[in-house]
Amino acid sequence: MTYFLDLISSGLAIGAVYGLIAMSFAIIYKSTGLLNFAQGEMAMIIAYVAWSISVRVEGNPFIVAAGSIGFAILFALIVERIAIRPMMGEPILSQIMVTIGLSVIFRSAVVLILDGLPHNMAVASGNALVDLGGVRLRVAQIAVVGCLFLAILAMWLFFRGSRFGVAMRAVAADEATARLMGVNIGRIQMAAWGAAAVMSGAAGVLFAIAYELSPALFHLGLKAFPAAILGGLDSIIGSAFGGIVIGITENLVGGYISSGLKEIAGFVIIILILMIRPYGLFGQKRIERL
Amino acid sequence: MTILKGLLAAALLAAPAGAALANQGITDKEILLGEIEPLTGPPGLLGVAHNLGARLAVAEANAEGGIAGRQLRLIAEDDGYVNSRTIQGVRKLIHSDKVFALTSLSGSGQAIAALSVVEQSGIPTMISIGPVPQLFEPPRDNVFVVGQTYTEGMRQLALHLAKAHPDKRWGVILQDDDYGKALAEGLKQARNDVKLNIAYEATYARNQRDFASEMLGVKDKEVEVLIAGGIISENIAMVKEAERLGISPVIATFWPGRVPEVLKAIGPASDGLLSVDYVMPLQSAGGIAFLEKATKYLSPEEVARVNRYTMSGYSSTATLIAAIKACEADLTWACTIKALETNPAMDTGVMAPISFAGGSRFSNSPVHILRADAATASYSLVE
Repeated sequence: MTYFLDLISSGLAIGAVYGLIAMSFAIIYKSTGLLNFAQGEMAMIIAYVAWSISVRVEGNPFIVAAGSIGFAILFALIVERIAIRPMMGEPILSQIMVTIGLSVIFRSAVVLILDGLPHNMAVASGNALVDLGGVRLRVAQIAVVGCLFLAILAMWLFFRGSRFGVAMRAVAADEATARLMGVNIGRIQMAAWGAAAVMSGAAGVLFAIAYELSPALFHLGLKAFPAAILGGLDSIIGSAFGGIVIGITENLVGGYISSGLKEIAGFVIIILILMIRPYGLFGQKRIERL
Repeated sequence: MTILKGLLAAALLAAPAGAALANQGITDKEILLGEIEPLTGPPGLLGVAHNLGARLAVAEANAEGGIAGRQLRLIAEDDGYVNSRTIQGVRKLIHSDKVFALTSLSGSGQAIAALSVVEQSGIPTMISIGPVPQLFEPPRDNVFVVGQTYTEGMRQLALHLAKAHPDKRWGVILQDDDYGKALAEGLKQARNDVKLNIAYEATYARNQRDFASEMLGVKDKEVEVLIAGGIISENIAMVKEAERLGISPVIATFWPGRVPEVLKAIGPASDGLLSVDYVMPLQSAGGIAFLEKATKYLSPEEVARVNRYTMSGYSSTATLIAAIKACEADLTWACTIKALETNPAMDTGVMAPISFAGGSRFSNSPVHILRADAATASYSLVE
């Protein structure tokens, strides 16, 4: 039983990492129609910046968190303003190519600017071990699950209860009409990029504390994207659920069937679900009138 | 008859081109060397370090007066660990930059991809980042491989572990690629000599980041000796997972990730981690002397990035430079290749002396077992 609980808890923790990044994919897609293929790389860069902060403040978790969030927002706004905003109105494929180009630049930048070496995130409190009924987890693993649920709650309240959230939904539903109604598309895009960077940054930093910090961290984005597809790319909360499904499935398959099948298990589930629900578990079917 | 004329014309055109190639990269003032490796992206950890080693060997040779009054100059190309870019880069170095010799051909997969280009050109080439059998079996006249194969490294490591920890339960976690297959073959060869009780085996997909289920398997099967067959981040994740689960098997890793940064990234759990390598640890007498040399020719920031790849890159390049130096009077590819074959073994102090005697194109360097010390983030030799 402990073995099963260990697999579930580990799956939940890694699934929460996927889920937060998947939510980042979804929020940008939902509000701008764009797929940001540099999301994993942004998480990696924010994690590296968090590490460089942590070694200067002796691992104070509050300063690391505040610094990382501040940097994530600033970083996202700069990227959005310099690379994405000028592409508004251009063909979607061109915009996606810009994000792919950004991903390559970020991967190289982490080596050229931030040394690109593996590091130990010096946040001792996040690295500490907690025993939960025989299941040992790092504080950062518990924190990432907490962050995911917090993000889900925040997104739900934001889209339901705030004017800005309603404006975002309006842009997602019909950008042209929303523009005619006076919605500032640029501000919506900035907010989406900022929120996405904070969520993927939290995932990257907590992953780096609990598992490892190396430039290979960007691969999390490649795992989170299918999670977003599984949950429904236009469903932010569904994407979070998709991440958890993939994380737990991977661990159960790796633990009970074969480690070699672990990486493909999530994709098998995605294919099966997409065959039944082509718009993902929580995605909405779009009806286009000609 | 037309075909015959065509062939004759082609041969006439090719002959002077080949002769020109064989002497390219040499002017009255300098000898141009080239290398290709990953200088950006995650594998930059090894490529940048290797480049520092090659530059150190070049700087040392230049400080000693160069070769026949000529200074050596090194051009480094970045392939980002992408095979197609390796091939493009090698073509550029040979045909556009017209270097005299190559000091690196990137990692094993990249070197295999670019091997035909190098072989056809005939340019003297040293390979030290990824020494795999495909690069020296069969031997190519102009390609010299420095190091040891993963298979032999695994065999030696398994024999050591079997002797040091007899009758223990083993776990093996390997990558699902050629690297993992090479390690599996080494383990198989070791099992011909010693009996191993392998209680847990797992193969993971490259780029996997989460090793929770694998390490839970290790815990479940009560593994006492674990072969962590990852490269860098995979091994960090595996050891940290072992720490999280509260298990402490003897964990053994391989030289691709034997760098101080990995120990620092793991933290206290890295204490006692075993590794196998043909390069001496930085804290050995040879390593300390090497660091002193590096301090003389590299900047403090560069010295901070010195690791085992710097040492193997230095040894390999120094061996090539010694061969070129032996050909001062006849600076040609043929003479350099001959000198690489016949020169006395090159002893750099950080590896066993490098020799290609007897027509071999593989240095077949002996390996050592090393143990990590978490407090100093360093390795020491296991007696």
